[in-house]
Amino acid sequence: MTISKSIKRTDAREKIRGEAQYIGDMSFDNPLYLKTVRSTRPHAKILDIHLPDLPEGCFIIDKSHIPGKNRMRTVVSDHPILAEDEVLYIGQPILLVAGPSRELVYQISEKIRIDYEDLPAVFTLEESEKQNCVFTEYSFSKGEPDTAFAQAARIIEDEYRTGLQEHVYLEPQGMAAEVKDDTVFVYGSMQCPFYVEDALTEALGRPSDKIRVVQTTTGGAFGGKEEFPSLIACHTAIAALATHHPVFLIYDRDEDIICSTKRHPSIIRYKAGLDDNNRVTVLDIDLLYDAGAYCGLSPVVLQRGIFSATNVYNFHHLKVHGRNFRTHTVPSGAFRGFGAPQSIFGTEMLMHNIAVSLGLDPLEFKMKHILKQGDPSCTGGKIHDKVILPELVERALDLSDYRQKIQKKKKFAGVGISLFLHGCGFTGNGEQLIKGKIILRKSKDRVVLKISSVEMGQGADTVLRKIVAHTLDLPIEKVTCEIRDTGLVPDSGPTVASRTTMIVGGLLKTAADEMKSRWNEAEDFEISKVYHHPDFLTWDNDTFQGNAYPTYSWGVNVAEITIDPVTYDIHIEKVTGVYDVGRAIDERALRGQMEGGIAQGAGWATLEVMKSKEGKLVQHNLTDYKVPTSMDVPEITCDFIDNPYEFGPFGAKCAGELPMSGAPPAVVAAISNALGIPLKEIPVTPEMLMELERHED
Amino acid sequence: MKIEFILNGETQTIDVHPARRLLDILREDFHLTAVKEGCGEGECGACVVLMDGKAVNSCLIPAGYLEGKSILTPEGFKETPRGQILEEAFIEAGAVQCGFCTPGFIMAAESLLNENPNPTNAQIREGLSGNLCRCTGYQMIFKAVRLAIEKGEGLW
Amino acid sequence: MVDAYRPKTLSEALKIRNETDCLPIAGGTDLMVQKARGTGLGPGFEKPLLFVGHLPELQRIEKKEGYIHIGPAVLLSELLHNPLIPDTFKKAVALMASPPSRNLATLGGNICNASPAGDTLPFLYAADAELLLENHAFERRMAIEDFITGPKQTDMKPDELLTDIIIPDMDFPVTYYKKVGQRRGMSLTKASFHGLADVLDGYVEDLRMAFGSVAPTVVRSRDIENSLIGESVNSLKNRYQEILELYEPLIQPIDDARSTAKYRKNVCFNMLKDFLNHLEKNQGDII
Ligand SMILES: Cc1cc2nc3c(=O)[nH]c(=O)nc-3n(C[C@H](O)[C@H](O)[C@H](O)COP(=O)(O)OP(=O)(O)OC[C@H]3O[C@@H](n4cnc5c(N)ncnc54)[C@H](O)[C@@H]3O)c2cc1C
Ligand code: FES
Ligand code: FES
Repeated sequence: MTISKSIKRTDAREKIRGEAQYIGDMSFDNPLYLKTVRSTRPHAKILDIHLPDLPEGCFIIDKSHIPGKNRMRTVVSDHPILAEDEVLYIGQPILLVAGPSRELVYQISEKIRIDYEDLPAVFTLEESEKQNCVFTEYSFSKGEPDTAFAQAARIIEDEYRTGLQEHVYLEPQGMAAEVKDDTVFVYGSMQCPFYVEDALTEALGRPSDKIRVVQTTTGGAFGGKEEFPSLIACHTAIAALATHHPVFLIYDRDEDIICSTKRHPSIIRYKAGLDDNNRVTVLDIDLLYDAGAYCGLSPVVLQRGIFSATNVYNFHHLKVHGRNFRTHTVPSGAFRGFGAPQSIFGTEMLMHNIAVSLGLDPLEFKMKHILKQGDPSCTGGKIHDKVILPELVERALDLSDYRQKIQKKKKFAGVGISLFLHGCGFTGNGEQLIKGKIILRKSKDRVVLKISSVEMGQGADTVLRKIVAHTLDLPIEKVTCEIRDTGLVPDSGPTVASRTTMIVGGLLKTAADEMKSRWNEAEDFEISKVYHHPDFLTWDNDTFQGNAYPTYSWGVNVAEITIDPVTYDIHIEKVTGVYDVGRAIDERALRGQMEGGIAQGAGWATLEVMKSKEGKLVQHNLTDYKVPTSMDVPEITCDFIDNPYEFGPFGAKCAGELPMSGAPPAVVAAISNALGIPLKEIPVTPEMLMELERHED
Repeated sequence: MKIEFILNGETQTIDVHPARRLLDILREDFHLTAVKEGCGEGECGACVVLMDGKAVNSCLIPAGYLEGKSILTPEGFKETPRGQILEEAFIEAGAVQCGFCTPGFIMAAESLLNENPNPTNAQIREGLSGNLCRCTGYQMIFKAVRLAIEKGEGLW
Repeated sequence: MVDAYRPKTLSEALKIRNETDCLPIAGGTDLMVQKARGTGLGPGFEKPLLFVGHLPELQRIEKKEGYIHIGPAVLLSELLHNPLIPDTFKKAVALMASPPSRNLATLGGNICNASPAGDTLPFLYAADAELLLENHAFERRMAIEDFITGPKQTDMKPDELLTDIIIPDMDFPVTYYKKVGQRRGMSLTKASFHGLADVLDGYVEDLRMAFGSVAPTVVRSRDIENSLIGESVNSLKNRYQEILELYEPLIQPIDDARSTAKYRKNVCFNMLKDFLNHLEKNQGDII
């Protein structure tokens, strides 16, 4: 049996039967319910807080209850766990109310009054740029951009924009905490148990051996449960310590939308220099990402954004400049693709629009620029592995009948193609810093995986168990995963950056290979492995030179759309995706990732309008913020071409985030094709199209 | 308010506030946690149960509405022949990822097939349009329903 | 305070309505969301609830003397399955909410909620629907456009219930319905248009046009319609710009979380134009 042949997901049955325990399904003895009292002002000084009399058994928890440091630990630890004297966005947590019933807690929180003194606030990226409210700024270059611009036959300048996106993991955020024998236990929906543990160590001022973080079945995450859970984990832990009760903090959807992180809105400005043969020889890219009120992990989001900004293309001369800006809006954070979908959208649409404006075929134009094996990446790191993008393109054209369709274009119907990549694993030297660790334990005829990488819907449990079972020739039932409890598993790193299969799976594969050779050594033994960065990869984090990623996964999407001439409603009829993810560990699991990613990408590109007005989200519930339903998703065809990666388990590279970058430019190129107008901003809405069409008329 | 209704085949009498949501009654009073809350406003379908054989959003139903009704939750459905078929079909088609939407989809699929044992692809899409799934892109859920129709011939 | 009443009959319900200040609730799909307070809390109603959805008197659909009578507690999903309900009305209902919520939502609830985005309303306006309102002693029958007085406002008296929805049983050879939502599945309406017409030998015999979601209440102008009846279909097409101008002052949409005023207005004009074009082609069902 080849590794790619699909098996039944190991967790499907209990989920279907409703037996899997999500955080909201857990029960504790005499729990207290928590409710968060939040800022109603985008930027203000807190002058006074008026509290009602508290009934017996109810508590108010504020910053003074925080035993350690009042900052949520992440890349830049600037977000207070509970507000101090100032609030920077609407929805920022100020206090927690705890009580034995939700009704009591609700009544108390309704009676709390906070006096504010409003301070000047910045709401938009443009405004923030004007006032130079920069959190982080990076730049790098390649070749001799200035000379190249001077020699260019033609210079084209353009600007692209992408909007907010909410994750809408179907299970809202939630945590519970209790103190047992002086150890704080925190349970909840999360991607990164050790991020949470780290944050708790600092907030509680206690050693990590007095803290246990336990992941519960996680109902979707998409990056939204990367850093945000650390904040509410701190809330629950502080409350459990302050009240001596187990506590529950489960968000309602509206609350979740109002205060949880979102995808960074962006403005990306380009200046392209072309030679006489219509080849882009030089590109200047200026990226502006809206980080919201706190910096958090925006620096690394921006890094992936800038390192992905050249997408699949080899521009010989290059200047890249990226900045994160503060606005007084809900903080932006991790979201599938982590800054890359924004810059890939910009660059793909730039290439499309340049081609169309020059009367060239967009695909041919793009193909003239693509990276090949041995080429330097944008940061000058050599592309070591075989690049099979031309094969992916051919397959996608065949499967979608693209050539035929673009030639026989009908009115109000369009087709578009996008090429894209995703850098596998952490950016730069991230993997070296984290040094993921795994343990494989044999006990008799069974094997247990000890890792902190979580199952959050993406299929990690099935895939990782399969890697080990396949290597050891064991039935999958004999190979299980230890629960993700920081007291029981080593830190294999966070479940992010599409690193789980390639990096953690790679470590497990090495350990399993070793276990196989030592199988008869003893009934019970353990093998542990720590990540070692391949020596041929180089990275300089000061100059941003070298291999920003160990390798890349690649994809091609073809989108077919129609537009209602009366309403300008966009209907995405069909999306074809062809991918190189090295080798599929489980083809159906992989397909599931691609199909879900296409839907999420297409949603971001068309339906998912989220705007904020004076710091307040206009769409803050699922009635107004629309994600695709079963009636909206296109028909999807996916295919994969094998291109095994030497350093991945069975040749696997990364997959989960890749599809997020493909659908938006393909869909938007198709809309542009249908109406014959250039498009530079997502989401593309009927409102926008009607406006543009009238303009054209 | 005293209310008598049938829950998973058994008659129950409860004394609750008439506006209490069926969703809370099921999850909190009866610990039937297969019923999920994804939005609390009728938009996501994670809370779908059957009322007199038809899918309804339990987050929209006040207790006072329940008098005399028969409610079937995933817990009561899973061991039935049709429940078993849908379970196998969802597993085989790969229709489950994070699983938070899944019990609601199973109930919606049951309601759809009750009403129309042989739906077209468009009717499957329409019939499931009250249930959101953010993970799968729906394709494998469509496939699961088609598979269930095949496997469960004559059951609906 | 009593939290709720669950009468067995309509007359019992009207008696309660007469004696107490209470809030009728049918399917609850509007009320449960409007008053929601979150998980485990139950919505916060200021008044005791009067459950009416189960009353058998309010659940009938029947044809009598040239009229179709629909009980207000009839579910949207029941409308879809009943042969007495005109197909063009079913088209509008089929695009409302979602399959599970259509098994709860009632026609009467949609009318009494009086939302500008209520999707049954354009048809009911176009079809000259009348409503029967009853208190314990009297009943009054009124046109739907007189009942709905503003966004979320009706002429319902505190002691009344809506007890019947009455539609003239007419057959329109040309029908047109379009709902513009934020997406295809489950979406509230940004703008909608219901058109009904009878065309004979190229001349317009009857014409009804109703716009939803683009003004405080559904827009229907009998004056404009009357000025067009009797005209040839061809001449209507040529007078298209003039017709738009007649509607222009009536269509007063707003910017909100779901769309813009400008788009709503333009899309109304497009739908109107599309409808008039279909008159010419004399096509039946357009959706
Ligand atoms: C997810 C979702 C999607 C929706 N989508 C749509 C949509 O696409 N289009 C649309 O138009 N609506 C939509 N709605 C709104 C709602 O479902 C409809 O308005 C529905 O028809 C209301 O009926 P109900 O019985 O549930 O009303 P209820 O909530 O029970 O009542 C609504 C109002 O009517 C009053 N009332 C009800 N019956 C009577 C009576 N007999 N006499 C006097 N007063 C009465 C109530 O007091 C209340 O004020 C949606 C709602 C949800 C939750
Ligand atoms: S929780 Fe009921 S529909 Fe979302
Ligand atoms: S499987 Fe996660 S929402 Fe459907």
